[in-house]
Amino acid sequence: MTPEVERLERLAERLRAVDPYMPPPGAKIRGWNLVLAAVEQSTRARSRVHPVRRLVLATVAAAVLLVVGAVAASADSLPDSVFYPLKGVLENARGALTFGASDQLAYHLELASTRLSEAQAMFARHRVDLADQALSALDDQLNDAALIIQAEKETDPAVGAAMENRLRQAISTHDAQLAGLQGQVTNPTAVSAIMQARERAAQALQTAAKPANGKGNASASPSGSGQGNGAANSPHPTPKH
Amino acid sequence: MRPLGKAASDDDRPLIERVRKGDQDAVRALYERYFDRIYNYVYARLGRAEDAEDLAIDTMTRSLTRLDLFQDQGVAFSSWVYRIAHNATIDHYRRQGKVSLVSLEHAPALESADPSELAIEQLSNQDLHTAIRELTDEQQQVLILRFFQDLTAAQVASIMGKTVGAVQALQHRALGSLERALQGRAVN
Repeated sequence: MTPEVERLERLAERLRAVDPYMPPPGAKIRGWNLVLAAVEQSTRARSRVHPVRRLVLATVAAAVLLVVGAVAASADSLPDSVFYPLKGVLENARGALTFGASDQLAYHLELASTRLSEAQAMFARHRVDLADQALSALDDQLNDAALIIQAEKETDPAVGAAMENRLRQAISTHDAQLAGLQGQVTNPTAVSAIMQARERAAQALQTAAKPANGKGNASASPSGSGQGNGAANSPHPTPKH
Repeated sequence: MRPLGKAASDDDRPLIERVRKGDQDAVRALYERYFDRIYNYVYARLGRAEDAEDLAIDTMTRSLTRLDLFQDQGVAFSSWVYRIAHNATIDHYRRQGKVSLVSLEHAPALESADPSELAIEQLSNQDLHTAIRELTDEQQQVLILRFFQDLTAAQVASIMGKTVGAVQALQHRALGSLERALQGRAVN
């Protein structure tokens, strides 16, 4: 140990021996009274804030429940429901997040089935106008599916053919359901709407069978366009509501 | 040396939880645990009983009413209380317009005073306190916490936000500065 370290050690020991300054008893009591008063005031202030916090939390919870409830209610809503527009928004959002030809095809076929179910429900409620709109939307979905298949055939003919087969099966199922529905309704407008829907579904199938450059089966579409409606011009159009 | 009561430790957590739930007995327990120590710390820094009393009460009030600001993440409650006391001391200096002290750590030893002749045992407590208050803020802090408060280097490191090694080096320099300050007083 060097002389300097020895000296500093002795100094440190001397410091340790210094008596601590102790507060006078009166100071400690006065301090406690002040601290206690401050703590009580702080507790009261916190409890005053609580009702406001509770109100905010309740409002936020109610808003979240409202949104969740509306979303849940819209999932099975029908065209005559106030939640139906929300259903369209959610479907569009889902469509925007669907990638790959196969998944997009599944997405459009699912929506086509949904539109058909909605049309059936609207016919049952004698809402022919809304049923007609649902059938029109059904055709849009089928046309969108047909265009996706067309494009896929250019990239991979084998995959495109498999997708075309899926569309054919779906349309076949839809057509059977529409035929049954046609036999049940008596309203001439309703009958006409169903017949048009069946015809447009057949056109969609023919569109899917054509090559994308239009050099294939030109007789498939009676209207000659073979491209579905305006909404279907995009390779991934949004569903119509 | 009279003991300052229970040494500051990390076992304050159960009491802190009780304080947060509004338990006044827990508030009292923490107050009893720290008031004397904080008073002693502040008095050593300021040298005036009235100021020490006010700042100790202020420190305890802030500590026990603002527990929502204390996040028990690696820093002990004791460190937090000492930091509040330190900040209160600095604020007090500012309010008083006290200029920052010049470090003595590089000051040359007086030629006329031989360090070996410094009669440490004959120094009064008042001499030591007065000489300590001539040191820099950090040097005062480390000497008071290590030797008057009897805290470990690790505890002081936590309070000052330094490593243990840095605290030990600072302590060494502070003792050297204190020795020179005492020599200067002896010569005068």
